[in-house]
Amino acid sequence: MKTSPLRRLMETPSFRALLALALVVAIGCAFNAGGAFFHWNTHRDMLRQVSVYGILACGMTLVIISGGIDLSVGSVLGLCAVLFAKLTLHQGESPWIALALVLGAGTAIGLGSGALVAKFRIQPFVATLAMMVFARGLAKWISGGQKISQAIQQPDGNFTYADLPGIFRRIDARILWGNLSVVTLIFLGCVLLSWLVLTRLRYGRYLYAAGGNEEAARLSGVPLVATKLLAYGMSGLFGAIAGICQAAQEQQGDPEAGTSYELTAIAIAVIGGNNLMGGRGGIGLTLLGALTIGYLEKILSINAVGESSRLMLTGGIIVAAVLLQRRRRS
Amino acid sequence: MPPPPNQIPVLKSLLSLAALSLLTATVAQAAAPKHGQKWIIGVSQCNLGEPWRVQMNEDIRKAAEAHPELQLVFKDAQNDTLRQRDQIEEFIDAEVDLLIVSPKEAAPLTPPVSAAYHSGIPVIVLDRKVLGNDFTQFIGADNRKIGKAAGAWAAQKLASLPRAKARGNALMVELTGLMTSTPAQDRLAGFHEAIQGQPVDIIFSADTQWLEPNARTEMESALAVNPQIDLVYAHNDPAAHGAFLAAKAAGREKDIVFVSIDGLPQEGQVYVRQGLLTACFEYPTGGREAVDNALKILNGGSVPRTLTLNSRFFTPENVGQGGAWLP
Repeated sequence: MKTSPLRRLMETPSFRALLALALVVAIGCAFNAGGAFFHWNTHRDMLRQVSVYGILACGMTLVIISGGIDLSVGSVLGLCAVLFAKLTLHQGESPWIALALVLGAGTAIGLGSGALVAKFRIQPFVATLAMMVFARGLAKWISGGQKISQAIQQPDGNFTYADLPGIFRRIDARILWGNLSVVTLIFLGCVLLSWLVLTRLRYGRYLYAAGGNEEAARLSGVPLVATKLLAYGMSGLFGAIAGICQAAQEQQGDPEAGTSYELTAIAIAVIGGNNLMGGRGGIGLTLLGALTIGYLEKILSINAVGESSRLMLTGGIIVAAVLLQRRRRS
Repeated sequence: MPPPPNQIPVLKSLLSLAALSLLTATVAQAAAPKHGQKWIIGVSQCNLGEPWRVQMNEDIRKAAEAHPELQLVFKDAQNDTLRQRDQIEEFIDAEVDLLIVSPKEAAPLTPPVSAAYHSGIPVIVLDRKVLGNDFTQFIGADNRKIGKAAGAWAAQKLASLPRAKARGNALMVELTGLMTSTPAQDRLAGFHEAIQGQPVDIIFSADTQWLEPNARTEMESALAVNPQIDLVYAHNDPAAHGAFLAAKAAGREKDIVFVSIDGLPQEGQVYVRQGLLTACFEYPTGGREAVDNALKILNGGSVPRTLTLNSRFFTPENVGQGGAWLP
């Protein structure tokens, strides 16, 4: 049975994800808020806004491909934002040491989830749900429930003010003559890293194998425990990167930061066309999913759509986008 | 946020048994709090996920530090009505000497508060009301009044802006709190009441759900759509901070006046000191007043049924002196 090239193109997941993105962009062109949608600044701001979610979605994609799910990413973000702010703002630690410590902490939390899943064989949903609650508690404990900001309260009740470390400004800056946010660059770096892992390393094939058919993977010699452990470890690492970006953009570490971000990260991965059952998908799809969600939120925001309509429209458009990419069986 | 996993029932009952025996021991001591003894005050806080409520507990704790005869027991309901109900009932069972409760919502928490009051425990209700009259005292501030004061201040400020004067009307952006909550509704209504009839146009309004990242996003949209903005009215400090950062990234922060409500010591007041905000209006927690009145009640004195808190406002000129009281 022969199929036309066009037909074959339409069957590829990335083309379908692109179609969903095009649909949302078309909506933006139609409802352009007095031309605001046609200015690059709007797109630049959309890219900044979606970057933190996108970074989380990179880790989520790796875990989903391995056949799991990571609900702890939002809490890891909050924990790492608090840690980073505490180390740099309050303890005056050098930025490089702070970066290393925070990235290490995020990775360690991820490896913890991974150990629960791979070693102790707790279901990913349950293990990472527990980690999500634990990490949020840790964030609140470290911060004493308050935001870690430049204002530091002294025992006598007065405040002293820490200088904003240069690293905060550098992460929240723009490059290319103000046309691209640094956090977007970081997001693209995470996409590139995930792409390398998934397509250029043997470990990437292990991830697909573990998520596809675990038993077959085990029989063909895939080190399942190590594979899963690393997937969650990388998700934790991306959570830490997102946390640092969040802290830099807010100029503080908020222990509540990232609450419910895990749902957005999952939505991004799924809207792009990654299969929640594991074993299939790719980071390109996640990138397209991030753009789709980003544009959707931006369009609703520049048109100042009310909260209730916004939620309903978001739900509706997500379903439409997913239906658009459903694999037709011939 | 999903609820944390429940504890194992057996373990839970064992623990509560242990806790009960401990509590009965302490309550027996507290039953006659004479010399060297302590009054036990139960504090039921509906949610510690908001800095303002963390500050309320902090204010209570700090005010009680000066009174060694007081012992505080804090419980956090984590924004869950039924959990708060349980915690109030636990305080009743423990026979605390006084209950301070900041309820999550009125109707479902009225019965347990009422039960505490009828069991002979004096009850101070903080910030949000319960239904009926089964409490000793209500302490709270008036969001509508504070919103109105912010609106009056904004109208006056805008009338003196050369740019707005030349244009004939002022252009403002409104970043609201969660609009399904009464504080946001009152802060909106009060502000609108004050600017009614003034040459002020609200050109962009968005619900930030009290969250800073949302405020930054919405402000970016407001900046993208509107080439001119004179003032931003934010319903809480984080929203004002997010809006300021968005305006700063666009290089337009110097053209805009930022006003917020809440005025927490480590947020709004700090932003005013740093020159980010032009003014912020305090929404007082009432923590200190609750402890002061609790002492009066415990010592047999009488207190007014309702205590409406005065609030201060902070500008760069007065923040060093602790702000100025609203008229």
